Amino acid sequence: MKFKRLLALFMALGLVASACGSSETDDGAAGESESSATTEATAEEETTTTAAPAEAEEPAAEIATDFGVTDDTIKVGLNADLSGPFASLVAEIVEGQTVYWEVVNANGGIAGRQVEMVVLDSGYATDKGIENYLTLAAESDEGVAMISENTGSPITAAIAEDAKDDDILVIPLSWASLWADPDIGPNILEKGTNYCIESMNGISFLADLVTENGDTPKLAILSRPGEYGADGFAGAALAAELLDIEVVYAAEGEVAGDDRTAVVTQLVNSGANIVWTTLTPGETADIFGNAVAQGFEAQWSGNQPSFNYLAHLGGDLAESFDQYWWQSGYTVPWNGNDSEGMQDLVAAFTELRPDNNLSDVYAIGWMEGLMVQTVLEQAAANGDMTRAGIVAASQEVTVDFKGLGPNQSWAGSYNDSVVRESYMFDADATAFDIQPVSSGTGSTGLFIEKGPFVSEIVADYVFDGPCI
Amino acid sequence: MSFGRPHLRTSYEQDSAIFPTYFQKGAAGLFLIFIVLMVLGNGAAGWIPTWLFGQTWLNPLTLVLPFAIAALGFNILTGVTGQVSLGHAFFMGVGAYSAVTLGGKGDGGVKACVPFADNIGLLDKAGECGLGLPIWIWLPLAGVFAALVGILVSPAAVKVRGLYLAIVTVGLVFIGLHIARMLPEYAGDYESGRKWPKLDIRIWKEEVPFIDMNEDGKWLGLIYLTEEQKQFFFLFAILLVMMAFAKNLVRTRTGRALQAIRDRDVAAEVMGVPEQHYKRVGFAISSFYAGIGGALWASYQGRVSPVDFSLLLSVEFVAILLIGGAGTIAGTMMGTLFVELLPKAVEKLTNWLSGNLDSGGVIGDLANIMLTSGPGDFGPVSTSPTAPGWPMSVFLWNPVIYGVLIVIFLIFEPHGLFGIWVKIRNYWKGWPFSY
Amino acid sequence: MIDVLLLAQESTGFFPTFLQTLIKGLALGSIYAVMGIGFVIVFKGTQVLNFAAGGIAMAGALFMSILVNDAGLPFLPFSNPLAPEIGTTPSIPRWLINLVLALIIAAILGMVLERIAIRPMIGQPLFSMAVITLGIETALGPFNRDATSLTARSLQIPWGLEQWEFLGAGIPKSYVGAMVAAVLCFLSINLFFRSRFGVAMRAVAFDQEAAQAQGINVGRVFSIAWGLGAALVAVGAIFYGMGPFPPQGTVSQEIHPVLAFRVLPVIILGGLDSIPGALYGGLLIASAEVFAGQYLAQWTSVLGAGYSTIVPYIVMLIVLLVRPYGLFGSEEIRRV
Repeated sequence: MKFKRLLALFMALGLVASACGSSETDDGAAGESESSATTEATAEEETTTTAAPAEAEEPAAEIATDFGVTDDTIKVGLNADLSGPFASLVAEIVEGQTVYWEVVNANGGIAGRQVEMVVLDSGYATDKGIENYLTLAAESDEGVAMISENTGSPITAAIAEDAKDDDILVIPLSWASLWADPDIGPNILEKGTNYCIESMNGISFLADLVTENGDTPKLAILSRPGEYGADGFAGAALAAELLDIEVVYAAEGEVAGDDRTAVVTQLVNSGANIVWTTLTPGETADIFGNAVAQGFEAQWSGNQPSFNYLAHLGGDLAESFDQYWWQSGYTVPWNGNDSEGMQDLVAAFTELRPDNNLSDVYAIGWMEGLMVQTVLEQAAANGDMTRAGIVAASQEVTVDFKGLGPNQSWAGSYNDSVVRESYMFDADATAFDIQPVSSGTGSTGLFIEKGPFVSEIVADYVFDGPCI
Repeated sequence: MSFGRPHLRTSYEQDSAIFPTYFQKGAAGLFLIFIVLMVLGNGAAGWIPTWLFGQTWLNPLTLVLPFAIAALGFNILTGVTGQVSLGHAFFMGVGAYSAVTLGGKGDGGVKACVPFADNIGLLDKAGECGLGLPIWIWLPLAGVFAALVGILVSPAAVKVRGLYLAIVTVGLVFIGLHIARMLPEYAGDYESGRKWPKLDIRIWKEEVPFIDMNEDGKWLGLIYLTEEQKQFFFLFAILLVMMAFAKNLVRTRTGRALQAIRDRDVAAEVMGVPEQHYKRVGFAISSFYAGIGGALWASYQGRVSPVDFSLLLSVEFVAILLIGGAGTIAGTMMGTLFVELLPKAVEKLTNWLSGNLDSGGVIGDLANIMLTSGPGDFGPVSTSPTAPGWPMSVFLWNPVIYGVLIVIFLIFEPHGLFGIWVKIRNYWKGWPFSY
Repeated sequence: MIDVLLLAQESTGFFPTFLQTLIKGLALGSIYAVMGIGFVIVFKGTQVLNFAAGGIAMAGALFMSILVNDAGLPFLPFSNPLAPEIGTTPSIPRWLINLVLALIIAAILGMVLERIAIRPMIGQPLFSMAVITLGIETALGPFNRDATSLTARSLQIPWGLEQWEFLGAGIPKSYVGAMVAAVLCFLSINLFFRSRFGVAMRAVAFDQEAAQAQGINVGRVFSIAWGLGAALVAVGAIFYGMGPFPPQGTVSQEIHPVLAFRVLPVIILGGLDSIPGALYGGLLIASAEVFAGQYLAQWTSVLGAGYSTIVPYIVMLIVLLVRPYGLFGSEEIRRV
């Protein structure tokens, strides 16, 4: 009996040993070996200093590195929604960044290093997003130097504190006013203006329109639950207070669920002539369509994610949107101006992705690329491409977006670093015509009406922290 | 003494033992060895490959543990009692929100715990409610509250049966989501949720925890463990306790009553098993497990939003049970591992394939057939994650593969992974003879 | 803070609002009913609760949009000869012909899925079959999502958002269209059940083995049940895609959650195996939902945002407490 037990134990040990052995050899054969990667990683807990290789194009300067940067590559991570509700949008933004790096790498990369993207899919689920973050921020060779895109306010809020602890730079794909908050740290590098200021600019614009027609502005604000909705709503409410506009219907976080009859009813009965929405495109279409069908007339606009030209200008509501909708935004639409940045973007896509359909959001990915490049080059010039070094470098730079959007820097107080400019676009359903990039024709149907502009209430206002 | 022959019990003690066969004892021993090796892997012994215990697999593996606890509860309700529920996510949510209310840090004080505090004028602005109590209070209470809610809804649930029950519990999930949206003081922001208390053991509300699980270091001054390993062991210990309880439950009077209801409810009632009472008990126990699992999951994740407790989560448990094999604990564990780690494995596989795209040989050819790297190539999987349209990206294929695997499993092996195991066991039992 | 002033006066009178709400309730109810009948047919024929209905329905709506937009057929080398010219809105007869084509393709999809995934499961527990359909639903989702992500998939509704004026209320043509479609579906299904196939299906529903012994081809009955079920849910999806329903004339992700789970209370209320039950259940649930949305709107702060979405589930719970097998469902006979 005792002997049998011993035997069993030995057999078990043998099994374990053989299992380890064989897997190891398998792994070795499979090319990029995971085992060696993590083995090194645990040994490499502390920051090591590596000399740049002799064959590098850049002068061989001593650059300190820790994770995600080797002698010939820099890894940047993207925690993107590629299978969830914003997949179509985010895929095009990621595409914008991909093309950007293709161009940069063809021109010799950054500090003699090629930029490599690590793209993970969150499906817009917070739990998956956190998991992805842990993978990207791993303090091992699997980790990345910085996260060049993190989709969505919920996931950004979920990882903000960890990013501060790990001292890793994150560019959020979210325009909540929270991210410039010093409490959240310098790690979350927001680009463009935020929902709150966008609402203020947008409502000023709409109020001017209504006043020019000789009416008294009456505002209705529609928002969905969550940080995005709360931020847009806070800005709209603030604008109403500063402009002294009557708010006839305030649906704070009330647009929820699949049935929006209650909101439409109250909106139509409120007698508003300005509507500001902080919604998803589907919610916007439903409420807008039903309100218009009931004979409701007003000047509509909303935070950028409320509107999607594909769904709204390509559907049955196109004419109504043309008539009543002004779109707000942070970046120049496709071929929307003849700035240097837009010319670069269009040229790169025409060359590298001729079959892709044109899209307004490539510019967002492109701008992320510009930001990352500026920050990383600063870090390389500082001789410190560790994660902490990259974070420090981000506070020293001013990113030139070359006319794609207002230039930006992140040093100083909240009030100094927030971007105050936004754009207003005219929606033109007849011009809407999505064509492949290579055709050189076609339009998303959005044209700059005004901008980049700062409304008076925003210019004078002192922002001492996030709106929510 | 048989060497692990199934269903052959030579003594009554053996029949009621926790591990009735040598094989099961061996498997448990093997697992213990694995754990010891994992601890030794912390640099002390360099010959143990660290990839086995590194972050890459340990994090996903740790994440499996809370699901395994909740799945045990689902097994008690569906596998043992035969009541199909799609409301398991709801009870996980109840547990998680009990945990965060009791253990979380709130900015609004006790006043914030009054529902609609800002509406009735107690507070200017809705704050988050959290009492900051230690884990030994919030963890059991999370289970207890979930069980109480289970008892509360059971009058409706015990009346209906079969698919009707499944759909009624679907309603529960949606109502739960609505309540979470209405009560941000407990649930936090509807999309980004709120922070959960960390997995630290405190005696009371002191600053430095009694047992710290969020720093690398020596545990109780004895063994050196990384943060990830500490959390793994802690959750694993809880899982073991819950497993032992589940295993024992089946052998008690209650367990036998539950099984009788599953097998023939009318017959059970005729024989004097009060059907409604035991269904209620089954509901309560299952909800208790769900509550504990939900609380641990949320607190391991650090932040969970109400939308995470959606119907999809419930469906995951159904998949776990059917893939693992209903009614057994080993099956439940296998199912949980399979369902939770499958997406990760699929991802790794496509990564590996695209790494071998140009390597030639069989694998290279396979990769060429499967993957599309540019126009003119006709594989169904696009290596570019970003191009919408056909071919679809890897990320969109993942759920397809997941769904198809569920279908394939149920068609070819209705008894799940446990059934496959039984087949293998039966084959070797008589080897080299087929019978 | 800001003064929030809710204007009390109604822009329209009581009666037009009521009429509008009623019509909306009936139209939504028609869609729920058609979807519900699709569920019930599959359940009656094959004893499967079809959780994949959402995915199949959305695929059906996608087929429709491909037919009327692209002049091509999905995955087939030849083009659709009946497609309207690109860039034009089809005439009503041409649109209807394309609708029939789309339904045929949806039915084929349903039959294929049945043959692959359901047929091998005959004789397995109800629950395993239901989970198979959940697997199908998971697997279909990404295809639908991918197809809708490229462009807005318009349904090219001939009547767009036009509406009739009636007693001061605006009545969208789409609403009337949905009601007509529901009536037609209901009548043709009733006729079908009187035909030979229908009788065969009822026999199979009653006892599969006995039916087979009587020479009924059970496999074919399964196939037809799934084909019909898929076509019916596709009708529901296509008519739900029309404005002023939320998708506003396009096939979008907005359709999906509604079709997948909101219909469940309908069939539970009516009873899983009752076709008139699905009709009454659909009308009742949709009316409850729409009227609650319209007339309880000022109580939103108490009831919570989006309260009308859960009204169907609450109605369902209340009904089940009183009648555990729905209003029209046949009570299961429990044998020992």
